[in-house]
Amino acid sequence: MNAAAKEQERAAQVVALAAGHDPKRLRLSAAEGYLLSRIDGRTPWRLLREIGGIPPSEVDACLERWLAEGVVEIVAGAAKSGAASPKPPRIAMDAASAPKAATPKPIVIDPQLLDPALDIDCDVQRRILEFELSLSRPYHELLGVPVGADPKTVKRAYFKLSKEFHPDRYFRKQIGPYTQRLERIFKKVLEAHEILSDPELCQVQNQTEGPMPEAVDVVAAAAATNAASPEPPRTPSSVPGGGRSGVDPQSQGPASTTPTPTPEIRPESKPLSKLDRLRQRMPFKIDHAAMAARRARALEIFRAAEASLEAGRFNEAEAGIRIAITFDPSRAEFKEALGALRIRAAGDRAMKLLATPSDRMSENELRDALQLIEDVLPYRPHDPELNVRAALVCLQLGRYDEAVEYVETLLEGAPDVASHHALRGRIERARGDLKAAKKAFSEALELDPDDLEARRALASMRIAAHDAAQGGRR
Amino acid sequence: MSRVIGIDLGTTNSCVAVIENGQPTVIPNAGGYKTTPSMFGISQDGKRLVGHLAKRQAITNARNTVFASKRLIGRRFDDPEVQKSIDLCPFEIVRGPNDDPRIKIGGKSFTCPEIAGIVLREMKRVAEEYLSETVQEAVITVPAYFNDAQRQCTKDAGKIAGLEVLRIINEPTAAALAYGMNRVGDEKIAVYDLGGGTFDISILEMSDGVIEVLATSGNTFLGGEDLDRRIVQHLVEWFQESSGLDLRGDTMALQRLKDAAEKAKCDLSLRDTVEINLPFIASDAEGPRHLNYELTRDNLESLVGDIVEGTLKSVEQCCVDAGVQVSEIDQVVLVGGQTRMPLVQKRVTEFFGKRPHKGVNPDEVVALGAAVQAAMLLDADSDMLLLDVTPLSLGIGTFGGHFARLIERNTTVPVSKGHVFTTTRDDQSAVKIRVLQGESDIAAENDLLGEFVLSGIRPAPKGEPEIEVSFDIDANGIVSVSARDLSTGKEQSITVSSTGKLSEAEIDQIIQEHDLYEVQLKG
Repeated sequence: MNAAAKEQERAAQVVALAAGHDPKRLRLSAAEGYLLSRIDGRTPWRLLREIGGIPPSEVDACLERWLAEGVVEIVAGAAKSGAASPKPPRIAMDAASAPKAATPKPIVIDPQLLDPALDIDCDVQRRILEFELSLSRPYHELLGVPVGADPKTVKRAYFKLSKEFHPDRYFRKQIGPYTQRLERIFKKVLEAHEILSDPELCQVQNQTEGPMPEAVDVVAAAAATNAASPEPPRTPSSVPGGGRSGVDPQSQGPASTTPTPTPEIRPESKPLSKLDRLRQRMPFKIDHAAMAARRARALEIFRAAEASLEAGRFNEAEAGIRIAITFDPSRAEFKEALGALRIRAAGDRAMKLLATPSDRMSENELRDALQLIEDVLPYRPHDPELNVRAALVCLQLGRYDEAVEYVETLLEGAPDVASHHALRGRIERARGDLKAAKKAFSEALELDPDDLEARRALASMRIAAHDAAQGGRR
Repeated sequence: MSRVIGIDLGTTNSCVAVIENGQPTVIPNAGGYKTTPSMFGISQDGKRLVGHLAKRQAITNARNTVFASKRLIGRRFDDPEVQKSIDLCPFEIVRGPNDDPRIKIGGKSFTCPEIAGIVLREMKRVAEEYLSETVQEAVITVPAYFNDAQRQCTKDAGKIAGLEVLRIINEPTAAALAYGMNRVGDEKIAVYDLGGGTFDISILEMSDGVIEVLATSGNTFLGGEDLDRRIVQHLVEWFQESSGLDLRGDTMALQRLKDAAEKAKCDLSLRDTVEINLPFIASDAEGPRHLNYELTRDNLESLVGDIVEGTLKSVEQCCVDAGVQVSEIDQVVLVGGQTRMPLVQKRVTEFFGKRPHKGVNPDEVVALGAAVQAAMLLDADSDMLLLDVTPLSLGIGTFGGHFARLIERNTTVPVSKGHVFTTTRDDQSAVKIRVLQGESDIAAENDLLGEFVLSGIRPAPKGEPEIEVSFDIDANGIVSVSARDLSTGKEQSITVSSTGKLSEAEIDQIIQEHDLYEVQLKG
């Protein structure tokens, strides 16, 4: 590597205080102390030279010395994540391998995973398994290139790995589960190449994307920023490179340029911390005081809503929570509360409904009841009591088709309840489809020979049929 | 194991190649020609004719001879391209039961995959005769702009011909493979493909046997035939001026003019002037009239100069898509018969600042590349790898009729892309995921590949549920789409299967019918 490239690499490196090292024990001059205080695990070397308060050459000398003494270490990949906290244990490993190209940590492969019966050497299988297990490494380590490598180096590394892991390499071979493994690996390698060879994507988190007047936009941007970090934002411990790592940096572009209000990109978890991170990066965009005031107000309203909920005033509580969400859309607990509230409110109304027998209602009351049931049903679509009640009300209103639909829902959930079949029979009979009614009643009787309703209905239908036949003959 | 062939199924001519002793070789047909016309006809006495035999009867029995059916394959009957063909073709094109165009000759209607299948079967036969063994597998090439339906129909055609299609690859990519075989070192190459009906440009990067497609673009409505049409137009105008007779309404005269124009165009690639001589082209009260015109190369170049300039616009666009400066391109490969034209070669040389690569035959290079790809796939020790791309963008339809791209065109496969979407109404309990393919930002203008519903979404205010939609394309280009509600973990998915117009049963029926016919022929 030539001097210029080395210099470029150096400039992009990010240093952080080494874990477990107490900087207070160092004997530092005031200038050095100031420089040390600027090291936060985010600022790249290049910037430290500018803000270190001493000439760049001295900054270099100081940092080199501290690196050698182990006071600070190079945080590999931090330039991309932008959000690496100063002292997670993972970084120690990164630091060890960062100055050189990646040297993967030894991984123990379960020998049971190796299958000599496949059209693929055991050694190669081992290599694939090892590589797959280390897919969560930062992109440059994955490709085995230094941080800030030029596009040509990145491409060469990408081609080399493609040749090794592209599924076409084993076209038509019996390689069992390795097909999926290869696809996973290749997709991840492809992703690494895309990100590393595109300087804009590398820096995406440093850019502000358009004006952000509202909190909602800030949250969306936080999601975008977070998505660009090399680790899957949601479940870093899940299977690496499963291809399901949430919002993808590639697809971010087209969606954010689409002028439609929906679909929106949403944060995936702990929006608050993302907001905080974003705020650190872009303090000039957000009025802290106003934001804090909004959040405090939101919490206040939410507490009031909770109180109304305790008192059973559901409408009031719902309105309150909605306002709270408007004030602070990033609080997941508000939204959860709203969902829970609705289900509970629906349940309460359902219980009240079920308390009044439907055959004592007037037609208007029946209609209201049906409306209520229809409102509640989406929350508990398979509740048998509600469905029975809905069917009965429809039956009384003469809306047979709907009644049959409710009974069918019932039977889907529990096909072996005699009374449901009998109910169906009753509806079919009322609607005039005697054949269907007879079938339904017979099924009810079969399931429960003691079902009185079915027995009686069948008997009376037989008599009616007989009478009709007699009448016909006369 | 039987050998695998590569077939270039062209609009006008087809070509088949195989790897022999490590070198891709074009297989000549029984007549000694390296390409076979993609034509199919039924003779007056009911015989089925393919290739040169069909071409021979094209003038005398035009109504029963099919050519250029590749323009129709995988399209809907109402497609403008199909409508254009209906006006121009002497054979009858009718609407099929699935709104697909069908070709009616000799009292029977054929689907387009069936016609293509007949041509492929002929190519298979050519290969089998040459190799003295049966061939069952093939790699077939299609133009880069072909969409999913067109590719699927081409696959169906392969099935009808009794071939298992290992892969469908793009023509320019195949050309690059043929060029890149046995080359070492890093190179960026441009493949300029000007054929009979279309123009394609691809930019690829290769290094130590790995070939990556960087970008592809082109123009479906631009090709050698447009040049012919210009010449015909010029001749008609000149004839009207000099003799006062208008030939525009005379189909017979136009057909003769077209043939003569094509021949003159080809001749002008080698000579500076050519005489167009068409006796008895028309007649009036004074008796028969003859057309006699001397066309010079300069004359032709001024007639078609803007068409050639048009192709260079596409080349520029492609360079932008690929993120490559024109000066960075190391090699230019010319494909398609039309690139023999000196003007094309001159303008391409000027544009790229270097002379195009001379080592490949523009008519054969695509088939050779297909054979190379076949060998690459099956040969375990092969040191080559093609990183192919998706030809068209994939995405879903969103609120307001917009198209959200999840996978951009020219993305290397296999690939997975995910994106989080949300609901547009309060308490929306289900979302419909419509999987689309195309380049328009408006959903309705793209092709619908399939749709499904994700239901059971927890009631919540609009914009709150998080639905992750993931697209996955495997190495064989098969697309699967899944949608997952992140809060409930509920998931729905589809594999976008054949959008081809023919069902398995229909294909089987066609195969049986043709087998029967073959037996009849021999018996």
